[in-house]
Amino acid sequence: MKLRAELAIKCATHESQTESRNHSIMQYNGSAIVAMVGKNCVAIAADKRLGQQALTVDMDFEKVFRMTDRTFIGLSGLAADVKTVHDTLRMRVNLYKHREERVIEPKTMAHLVSHMLYERRFGPYYIEPIIAGLDKDNKPYICATDLIGCLSLPEDFVVTGTASDNLFGMCESLWEPELEPEDLFETISQALLNAVDRDAMSGWGAVVHIITPDGVITRDIKGRMD
Amino acid sequence: MDRYSFSLTTFAPNGKLLQIEHALAAVGNGSTSVGIKAANGVVIATEKKTGSSLIDISSLEHMAMVCESIGMVYSGMGPDFRVLVNSARKIAQQYRRVYMEDPPVRILVKELASVMQEFTQRGGVRPFGVSLLLAGVDERGPSLYQVDPSGSYFPWKATAIGKNMVNSKTFLEKRFNGDMELEDAVHTAILTLKEGFEGQMTENSIDVGIINVIPGSQSGQSNPTFQRLTSAEIKDYLSNIL
Amino acid sequence: MQLQTEQLQSAAGFKFDNVKRNQLLADKGLKLSTAKKTGTTIVGLVFKDGVVLGADTRATSGPIVADKNCEKIHYLAPNMYCCGAGTAADTEFTTNMVSSQIALHSLDTGREARVVTAMTMLKQHLFRHQGYIGASLILGGYDVTGPHLFSIHPHGSTDKLPYLTDGSGSLAAMSMFESRWRPSMSREEAIELVKDAIEAGIFNDMGSGSNVDVCVITQGNVEYLRGYSRPNQRVEKEQSYTFARGTTEYYVPRAAPQPAEVASAMDTSA
Repeated sequence: MKLRAELAIKCATHESQTESRNHSIMQYNGSAIVAMVGKNCVAIAADKRLGQQALTVDMDFEKVFRMTDRTFIGLSGLAADVKTVHDTLRMRVNLYKHREERVIEPKTMAHLVSHMLYERRFGPYYIEPIIAGLDKDNKPYICATDLIGCLSLPEDFVVTGTASDNLFGMCESLWEPELEPEDLFETISQALLNAVDRDAMSGWGAVVHIITPDGVITRDIKGRMD
Repeated sequence: MDRYSFSLTTFAPNGKLLQIEHALAAVGNGSTSVGIKAANGVVIATEKKTGSSLIDISSLEHMAMVCESIGMVYSGMGPDFRVLVNSARKIAQQYRRVYMEDPPVRILVKELASVMQEFTQRGGVRPFGVSLLLAGVDERGPSLYQVDPSGSYFPWKATAIGKNMVNSKTFLEKRFNGDMELEDAVHTAILTLKEGFEGQMTENSIDVGIINVIPGSQSGQSNPTFQRLTSAEIKDYLSNIL
Repeated sequence: MQLQTEQLQSAAGFKFDNVKRNQLLADKGLKLSTAKKTGTTIVGLVFKDGVVLGADTRATSGPIVADKNCEKIHYLAPNMYCCGAGTAADTEFTTNMVSSQIALHSLDTGREARVVTAMTMLKQHLFRHQGYIGASLILGGYDVTGPHLFSIHPHGSTDKLPYLTDGSGSLAAMSMFESRWRPSMSREEAIELVKDAIEAGIFNDMGSGSNVDVCVITQGNVEYLRGYSRPNQRVEKEQSYTFARGTTEYYVPRAAPQPAEVASAMDTSA
């Protein structure tokens, strides 16, 4: 018990002590992920870069995962935790499917992810997930959480990653309600491409998934490779 | 023979665990409970038996709400039931803390059954002297489950447990049909209890709980809620029967 | 592996298995990032028939508005609601946990829980964690003993007052209360004052913004007025910025990924 308390204190005090240092863990690998609501559809898009600070080491790094037929999760932040959290979540989602004999709904999955992250309130995973999907009534669902699992549920779009500030600006001006899947593809692609062009830590191509009641359209879009 | 009934975890040569058989006997001594699944909901009902007329019968609670969408009733030993009610409520809240929704009935039943199973295998404990009926509604509609001391569970359209189980089940087999509305089901449940009821049946001597499927609100605001009928409501049903 | 994880779990259910790793990262000179905060205006007041709670709807992470319309008035029990300021996740999960405990408690006792009960549960939880759970709360409710309003601070101290404000916009909001609150206000007056107090926060505090949520709790009744006032509606766009189909170049359409039943095995040998 004493050990636990000490760990907790150490960890929490450290947040303030290291405030002055410049490079953040969240910026170490670089990423840009965005999800948008359309008319009876949702889209989620991510860049493909994996870096070690300024050095690019991979240009086809997966950070958006298809967890069920119609629910995707995008994980930005520390690549090690992107992998760990994806694997753990894969286990939880599969276990849910077997135990409950049903496919997890996007909303339920959001609460599950949020719970998994808050459990590590005092020793967090350095990721900020976004979830996009269609529920059983084909209603679009998007959400984002911070690294300790605080859900936010906007009606229009969610962004995360090192390019999130840029993405906020792009989405705020480009997004409009009731976009058809093909129009949503253009809007989300342009929002992402133009956001990552002004972020040194993300880019190197991108992938877009459009989730519709009839299935998922996935496209690798062409972007600058610098 | 006696040495096999000494330890709960020792199998008798015929493959039975005698303590579990004895637990079922305890259930068989308990007051009768019935459950019926209707097209638009579920009803569970039980006798409130007392040893003496001096007991304040209105304060006895034989039925419990587990969470908004699930209720349960028992036949057998009252104190054991209370322990299981506490477990069931905790299981429901634990599920809620992760997924922010009530557990589906089958999941709760499974978890609760595994608690009961553990008490047939662990050292230093005895099995629960109760069988349970759980009534609930989830996204798949209404459901009714029975859980036994061994930890086995069964989904039912209609069933009875306790002292009058055999007769009640025969009665239900004749009366039950799948299109039954909840109103009818409550009537039938009370009639089933009335078969073989010792003494006069009054609004205070039975406990009835219902849960409704609210049409088109599965993801909406108002969720199905388990309710125990008030004495006045039971009185209304009784006056229609008598 | 299983054992180790269990050892690193606290009584409240927190897991500490990442702490050492995170410490290592920090020692290497990487800044540990911080969670989303709600630079907030939250208020509560007691009026003639009950209590009114109010909150703005802006969530911030640093200088960025992370959510323009979030909910800061949390459900605790049918007769109790709780406004949260501070670390957003902490307010959310602390109130959820206490809400769950209260649900169990009132099923056990067969009664509606009292506001002091919730207040005690909240303060004990926060005190136990010595301020590391950054939740600053205003709790309001109506029980058998009447209306109650409490504020609960991250270290576990509490106040019981007829009108309260908290969050970064608390000073602006308090200026409204100090000049206009009086005992036994009518329902309409109370709601109007709460709205004005939150709007004072919205317009004068950078951490607060967007809309006003109001929650009126009286005997046996709760009215949750989400977006009671929306003084910052976005003006309609004059032009549409949609792109012509075919604008974005993409490589030969590729097959969508399948939801993997089995995750690729992780190499843990190193």
